[in-house]
Amino acid sequence: MDRVAGIVFISFGAAVYVLSGDLPFGTFSAPGAGMLPKLALLGMLLFGLVLSLGRGTSRAATRWDDLPHALRVGLLTGFAVACYTWLGFVISMSALVFALLVAVERRAIGRAALFSVGVVLAVDALFTLLLASPPEPGILGF
Amino acid sequence: MTSTWESLWLGFSVALEPAVLWYAFVGCAVGTLVGVLPGIGPLSGISILLPITFGLDATKAVILLAGIYYGSQYGGSTTSILMRIPGEASSVMTCIDGYALAQRGRAGAALCIAAVGSFVAGTFGVLMLTFLAPLLAQFALRFGPPEYTGLLVLGLILLAYMSSTPLPRTLLMAALGLWLGSIGIDVMSGHFRYGFGIAELGDGLGIVPVGVGVFGLGEILATPSDSAARKVSAPKLRELLPSRAEWREAALPIARGSLLGFVVGLIPGSAHIISSFLSYAVERRLARRPEAFGQGAIAGVAGPESANNAASTGAFVPMLSLGIPTGPITAVLLAALAVHGISPGPQLITEYPRVFWGFVASMYVGNLMLLLLNLPLVSLFVLILRVPYAYLYPLIIVFSIVGVYEVNHSTVDLWILLVMGALGYGLRKLAFDPAPLVLGLVISPTLELSLRQSLILSNGDGRIFVERPIAALLFSGCGLLLLMSVGRLLGQNDWRGKLARLEGGES
Repeated sequence: MDRVAGIVFISFGAAVYVLSGDLPFGTFSAPGAGMLPKLALLGMLLFGLVLSLGRGTSRAATRWDDLPHALRVGLLTGFAVACYTWLGFVISMSALVFALLVAVERRAIGRAALFSVGVVLAVDALFTLLLASPPEPGILGF
Repeated sequence: MTSTWESLWLGFSVALEPAVLWYAFVGCAVGTLVGVLPGIGPLSGISILLPITFGLDATKAVILLAGIYYGSQYGGSTTSILMRIPGEASSVMTCIDGYALAQRGRAGAALCIAAVGSFVAGTFGVLMLTFLAPLLAQFALRFGPPEYTGLLVLGLILLAYMSSTPLPRTLLMAALGLWLGSIGIDVMSGHFRYGFGIAELGDGLGIVPVGVGVFGLGEILATPSDSAARKVSAPKLRELLPSRAEWREAALPIARGSLLGFVVGLIPGSAHIISSFLSYAVERRLARRPEAFGQGAIAGVAGPESANNAASTGAFVPMLSLGIPTGPITAVLLAALAVHGISPGPQLITEYPRVFWGFVASMYVGNLMLLLLNLPLVSLFVLILRVPYAYLYPLIIVFSIVGVYEVNHSTVDLWILLVMGALGYGLRKLAFDPAPLVLGLVISPTLELSLRQSLILSNGDGRIFVERPIAALLFSGCGLLLLMSVGRLLGQNDWRGKLARLEGGES
């Protein structure tokens, strides 16, 4: 696992370093805007290298069996984020909670609908009435 | 000394105002809830609720948020003792003997001792904070850019040294955090770094979307609901009182845990986690019957629970007096103060005495509130724990989204939240601790500014970092720690390795 992690960070660090080409490192007497980011990237490359060349002493092998769950939750959340300013807080978040309960957790549709609308309206009321900071309204005005 | 008492009096006059008392209570109650619920930690709790404080003045805001932090240390013990699930990483050690006590029908006594230990340690920590922070702030007035550079580098290396993950992994995360912190417009030259055409990135990555993403959403993505099944029973109120023998057994571990926790809390890193592990090790070493540890030793609950509470208070000393975060949680608290136009640091005590002393005094009150809140309400927390995780995590996602959006009203922040959630998930899978990443992100602008100012001041001469006595001392500390870390790199199996295994679920 150490080797995989090391290689991931070496690749990432190298790619970003190449992208940083136009950032001036400057000199020690006049450090430029690229000094800290480039030093940080060099650190990333160095420690990535140490990790990938090490003895692989980290914890037990990774299990990825929760990946489908993570993907489903991530995708649904991403979709809700994309619709957030368009549909507004109440609709997009109710839809997100409902979708998570039905599509990911396989809960009964009626109960999921009731729960999703109920909690989102409660959160909306909390922000609007108690905190005087109403969440984003959508095309329907709420 | 007289002025400290006078200042403390001012603090109590602020902390006892009804509105301030209310926010301290809300912070403590929410913090306890955050501590009780597995999957939502103090960092995500504070980050999610940060926007709520925008409408408050700085004193109330920081009192509310700090209440969540130290309240979560109290609450974390409940799930550890009743369910063997640490509500907080710092409650991992409490699981071992706390749950064993619950199995023997002494859950109530364990909860009571954890709460009293937390109260004693929290109060001790605040007492030390009261007298130590002003002295440290006075001393820090001598700090210039080279000293701040040394202090921040030392903080990062200390974090790496104290971390339970291997040194290269911790430093790699810190480097990634420093790079992420450099995204945005450079204040000295005006260069837009890594903007990718997104104007909103000009101000850099916010601590809130990054913190909530990496710690909150990342945790949810990595926790399928079927793996979070719970079975929990509440102890009856009359069972909460420990016996006289149990009190006697708990007294010294509470005292030792308080002292140890406070000292460890001053050190950057996940102090509240490390302190509870160290306290457990110390208590087992000092016990007359070390074989009782793991079978339900009272000292195994009293020591670690006291230590993690004292550590969370100790962490406020460098935060308030130097303006230096010792971990991601204090970093978010610093961000909260910055939102209200307050720059924490040596001048905080003199320029904003109401904020500083009001905050300190509120912690005395908060600790008392938590003691009164935790024991009688244990049945309520058990009720909340019975809510299936499948219904709980969608609600946490909703709070995360609305919390992050309300900071800047920016959808870019929501995308950052999502990307950081995916990153947090990946880091968990690859066994990285994300705390150094968040700390690196927060200190990056200050470190960059002080490093560049130091180099400009000295016309590029690196001796500026060794010719000034305080800076030299700080950089010597960095060198010493790096040398000591070589032993770890060579594969010595010390307490950090044991802590890593325990955090990984072995015991």
